[in-house]
Amino acid sequence: MNSMIRRFFDIRFSAPAFSACRKFGVQGFVILTVAMLWSVGAQGQRATDLRLNEFMAINKTNYEDDFGERSSWIEIFNSSYGTVDVGGCYLSDDINNLKKYPIPKGDVLTSIKPRQHVIFWADNKPTHGTFHLNFWIDDTRFLVLTAGDGRTIIDSLTYPEQIADVSYGRSEDGVGVWRFCERTTPNTNNMLVQLEAASERFKANDSTGIAMTITAMTVVFFALFLLYLAFKNIGRAALWITALKGKKIIPKGSPAQVTVSGEKQQPSAGAVFAAIAYALHRYELEMSELESNVLTINKISKAYSPWNSKIYTLRETPVKK
Amino acid sequence: MDINSLFSFLGENLQQFLSYTAFSHMTIGHLVMMAVGLIFLYMAIRYEFEPMLLIPIGFGILVGNIPFLPGLKIGIYEEGSVLNILYYGVIQGVYPPLIFLGIGAMTDFSALISNPKLMLIGAAAQLGIFGAYIIALQLDFMPNEAAAIGIIGGADGPTAIFLSSRLAPHLMGAVAISAYSYMALVPVIQPPVMKLLTTRKERLIRMRPPRAVSHLEKVIFPIIGLLLTCLIVPSGLPLLGMLFFGNLLKESGVTRRLAETARGPLIDIVTILIGLTVGASTQATTFLTSASVRIFMLGAASFVVATFGGVMFVKIFNLFLKEGNKINPLIGNAGVSAVPDSARVSQIVGLQYDKTNHLLMHAMGPNVAGVIGSAVAAGILLGFLS
Repeated sequence: MNSMIRRFFDIRFSAPAFSACRKFGVQGFVILTVAMLWSVGAQGQRATDLRLNEFMAINKTNYEDDFGERSSWIEIFNSSYGTVDVGGCYLSDDINNLKKYPIPKGDVLTSIKPRQHVIFWADNKPTHGTFHLNFWIDDTRFLVLTAGDGRTIIDSLTYPEQIADVSYGRSEDGVGVWRFCERTTPNTNNMLVQLEAASERFKANDSTGIAMTITAMTVVFFALFLLYLAFKNIGRAALWITALKGKKIIPKGSPAQVTVSGEKQQPSAGAVFAAIAYALHRYELEMSELESNVLTINKISKAYSPWNSKIYTLRETPVKK
Repeated sequence: MDINSLFSFLGENLQQFLSYTAFSHMTIGHLVMMAVGLIFLYMAIRYEFEPMLLIPIGFGILVGNIPFLPGLKIGIYEEGSVLNILYYGVIQGVYPPLIFLGIGAMTDFSALISNPKLMLIGAAAQLGIFGAYIIALQLDFMPNEAAAIGIIGGADGPTAIFLSSRLAPHLMGAVAISAYSYMALVPVIQPPVMKLLTTRKERLIRMRPPRAVSHLEKVIFPIIGLLLTCLIVPSGLPLLGMLFFGNLLKESGVTRRLAETARGPLIDIVTILIGLTVGASTQATTFLTSASVRIFMLGAASFVVATFGGVMFVKIFNLFLKEGNKINPLIGNAGVSAVPDSARVSQIVGLQYDKTNHLLMHAMGPNVAGVIGSAVAAGILLGFLS
């Protein structure tokens, strides 16, 4: 196995980064594999977290861009709880040309904060900045957001005929079904329901705290009860395995199990440990008494210098007379 | 420049310098907090009450309460200051999980594994958290604040800091100081409650010695522990995940260096940082409020209720246990996770009634179960109220 992996490295990789892996063989292979899986996983997660969230195809009297112009807009939502950079992805309204507008990399504004939105203006004026697309929304009835590889479709939408100044968006950010929005909500949540803070909800519904106490104590007991059950059975299994291996099992009725009073006792692990500890303690004590049989006399060498002389560096503690 | 203008300039300079000194900004509150810091230092050095915590916190209180001219990027609440950067680990909840990693790497769960029913005591003692939660609600705290205060009853400093930083950051200083103070006072608070709730006959109960635990059981414990607790309460993952991870490093036997780092240099560094910054966060202007006083009162109550919960649970539990399997209720107090102080209290009180009845190893079971229990409780509160 090891030689196969070494051969695999020899054939496939020559870059210096992999030389360490060749050197460390299986260990290096495992580390590299984990690192690759992690990086692929992390990249994949980021790419798939973006969502087309809302758009307006016909903007006659609605929101204006920074240049005071009205045009179609597309809102992208970061559905994750980490910052995602949309730079490097592609926006398009053409299924045959997924790379129609490459979103520029390196613009700090393309980093979308957790659960936040960005707006792209479909005004065919890319010179106006990163967020201005190089196409108008025509009657293709299709929008697509593509990952940086230009092939992986992150999110796409086939939409019906649009109404002027009415946006088309998800009922809930990132996950809801598409419908015509009652209110246009660029750069903010599509769902307009005011969420009550958890604390206020508990204040209103459980002002005494009894419900929380009962719930939480039940969960704490349940969690630890499960652990108790698990380890009760694991303990039994361990004893059973030990018995199978025949490790220090004292047969029933053997002299070791019968005390003076005639009562049967289990061998006490604590007592055994205490006896061992005491024996070790005694042993060390005796060792320390017997150890120093050899008397070694070394000549003390003191290199005199005024700098290490106590006469020059210390003075007597002053005494008030 | 003539001599008069020179003196005038020097006078102005001196006046400006004086305005920069701490004396010109000193208030009674600062002096009170400095006195508190000095008391902490005295308790830690003279009586060795939790010195590893009280010395960084006590000194941190002194650091945090030296007044200064705002805007110089000095104070812990001034963005970009050194103390503010170090404090980031507290407000973002970075330090507590790292401390749990170290705790896991230094904790031997053998006592618990050999007698797993002791885990339930660790659950019962969490009553202190919710007792304090109920009282705090009656004192007009919001549920999130009440939860941050209630967690003091878990007797676990890192958990208290973690939860309060999430639910009520404005109370974190008072909660942390209260939690650590009462943890140091466990030998004073718990014995009267234990004696009050138990009979002489109960205090003399002898428990069966724990059995030897195999290496395999010790290795399985953190894995099963993580899965069972975190699948039920995922919000406890930062604390429980690190606790069990640290324990696996210790028990696996093949990561000795990592375990030693986690329970040695790493936990020491984080303890220094967390202690100093939590202490420094108690600036008089933000700390000396009526809420802080109420938090201190609630903290004491939570410890009493937690002890009550643990001891009473053992008494009730004993009703269902056969003779010979009964549990000494003096280990009920150890269900709070002040490791190993509360277990030591069980031992000391037990020895007062029977010089040969050593309860320490038995008490370590509920003690470490209390660590798990308080982390689970914190996860539940975080899940409900964040």
